[in-house]
Amino acid sequence: MNLQAKFALYNAITKITVILVLGLIILLSLETISSNHLDARLKKKRLKVIEHLNEKEIDSLVNNHQSFTDYNILKEEFIVLTEIKNVGKIDSTITFNTDRREIEGDVEIYRILNDQFEFSNKRYKLELGETMTSMVTIKKTIRFYTLIVLIIASLITLITDFAFANFILKPFYKIIDQKINKVNDPTHYNYTNIPTNTKDFKILDNSINSLMRKIADLFLLEKQFIANVSHELLTPISILSTRLENILDSENLTLEHEQKIFASLKTLNRLKIIINSLLLISKVENEQYIKQDEVSIKQKLIDIYEDLEDRITDKAIIYINHVKEDFSFIGNQALIHTLLINIINNAIKYNVKGGTITLSDEIKAENYILTIADTGIGMEKEIIRNAFKRFERANPDNEESFGLGLAIVNSIAKFHQLKINIHSEINKGSIIQIEFPILRNFIKTS
Amino acid sequence: MNVLIVEDEKALALEMNEFLSKEGYIVEHAWKKASAEEKIFVNNYDFILLDLGLPDGDGFEVLKQLKSLKNRDDAVIILTARSAVDDRIKGLEQGADDYLPKPFSLNELLARMHAIIRRKHKLEKNDINIHDFVLDIQNRTVSFQNERIALTKKEFEIFNYLVLNKNRVVSRMSLTEHVWGDILEVNSDSNFVDVHVKNLRKKLSQFTKTEWFETVRSIGYRINF
Repeated sequence: MNLQAKFALYNAITKITVILVLGLIILLSLETISSNHLDARLKKKRLKVIEHLNEKEIDSLVNNHQSFTDYNILKEEFIVLTEIKNVGKIDSTITFNTDRREIEGDVEIYRILNDQFEFSNKRYKLELGETMTSMVTIKKTIRFYTLIVLIIASLITLITDFAFANFILKPFYKIIDQKINKVNDPTHYNYTNIPTNTKDFKILDNSINSLMRKIADLFLLEKQFIANVSHELLTPISILSTRLENILDSENLTLEHEQKIFASLKTLNRLKIIINSLLLISKVENEQYIKQDEVSIKQKLIDIYEDLEDRITDKAIIYINHVKEDFSFIGNQALIHTLLINIINNAIKYNVKGGTITLSDEIKAENYILTIADTGIGMEKEIIRNAFKRFERANPDNEESFGLGLAIVNSIAKFHQLKINIHSEINKGSIIQIEFPILRNFIKTS
Repeated sequence: MNVLIVEDEKALALEMNEFLSKEGYIVEHAWKKASAEEKIFVNNYDFILLDLGLPDGDGFEVLKQLKSLKNRDDAVIILTARSAVDDRIKGLEQGADDYLPKPFSLNELLARMHAIIRRKHKLEKNDINIHDFVLDIQNRTVSFQNERIALTKKEFEIFNYLVLNKNRVVSRMSLTEHVWGDILEVNSDSNFVDVHVKNLRKKLSQFTKTEWFETVRSIGYRINF
């Protein structure tokens, strides 16, 4: 979950909690406030009733209370006075209750005050009622509008919160996107600051910039180092090899010396191959190659077959090319050639005489997958794990191999964002799969 | 033919000098950019073998100066240990005829020079006679007394390379690199070139004795003429 979503979620949760609590408080207090209010009114009324009480009044109330409700069309209140038996102690506490009463055929909810009193030796029970129907309606209305107002308010704040967070975090996401996600190497980095007035983001932006400057410096240093190494190491090798070639050319050389000189030349050649291989890896990792060619895999495989044809026939290998898609992408021709020729050459080199090499391809989930399967000696799991490391050899007895072929393959694959999978079984063969992503800067012409 | 070697590594220049002199070239040296430019200004050369990393400047500047002179047809081969990726493209764009990365085999240098000579001077007679065989460089064919021999592309390349370097041992390494190019690790196993040489020799010996086509034990091959 990203920062903005987290903020939005947090805001939503706190706001909903606040609404719930506030709503609950309002509803509860509305209940108490309204009944307290009614109770106070009833008490006042009781005082009034008791104050003006006389024989005649009591008589009229006890016997003919209908007259009271005559002017009370809405039946908002009632007074019921009943004579009760004069036994025991009088209970003079005033109690309230809420109850349903039928007044002249209409049933309504009333708040009722209960009281007992004695008057000229007679004991009476007084009930004063006031309707709660209007109160309930008002309560409902208040409840409804409160809820609406709260919901609307919280929605508005949620939206503004989200918009504000979005506005505040925009530079942050821009920094992440432009300075981290889209950058693979310092050569494609833009040092201009992303405009923001948030101090933290400024610090972040500047830190990434200075970090990238350091990396760029190191990159440049490495480039110079590579150039120096190649010059300083390859020049002496040139001198030695030309000198040895000239000696080999002289006429009065014994066979023994001739062979020793040739052996030295071979050693020099080995040194040259190792240095050039390491330089190639370094240059690829140092992004010194340009990826601007449209590389057709189908065509490349044809070229490579031509290059390796003699080795294939020499080992009587059955070479099956099942590649059907005409897949192209933007990359570096020479490097892709090197990558494929190394893999296919290994399939030949470590194959058995009369073995098989099968090339096939498929398009699967945004990827073009090229599979190269051989029936060779295979590799152990331990060796597969280290296959891409420098100076690791599948077959340590093979003196012709320097263990750099797959390291070169690995760096070229990384440079082109290709994925390579190896499956292998001892004495059965190896399957190498290369995954070319179709999206991004890759094109497909199928 | 005269050659100017522009190279600050004196030892290397001397070895090249020895080799090319044996081949009949007249060789001159320049150790620095300044002296190279001076010599180029004064003399015409058939070949300028140009190193890029000179103590007082860049070899590209020498090339630029040469190209600014009128009526010059000096062939330039850039020889460099500098490994900047775009040097090769830059060199060829600026008018160099070829580019040979160090370390190179002298056999290869000679082959490249021959190729340039053929290209530049458009020799009317583009054929090379070797014993009773005729190599038609233009059409890349070999014939014996007007009878064409069916050679594969690689067999022709091998024969041609050995003929250009006649009377000299050509190692398997050098031969492999010439025919298959510089593909590093892949070429570390150079013995498969033997198969092609074997086939080539078999095809040639159907016509006449080929004892001049010599195998130098464990080193390589030599064509004596």
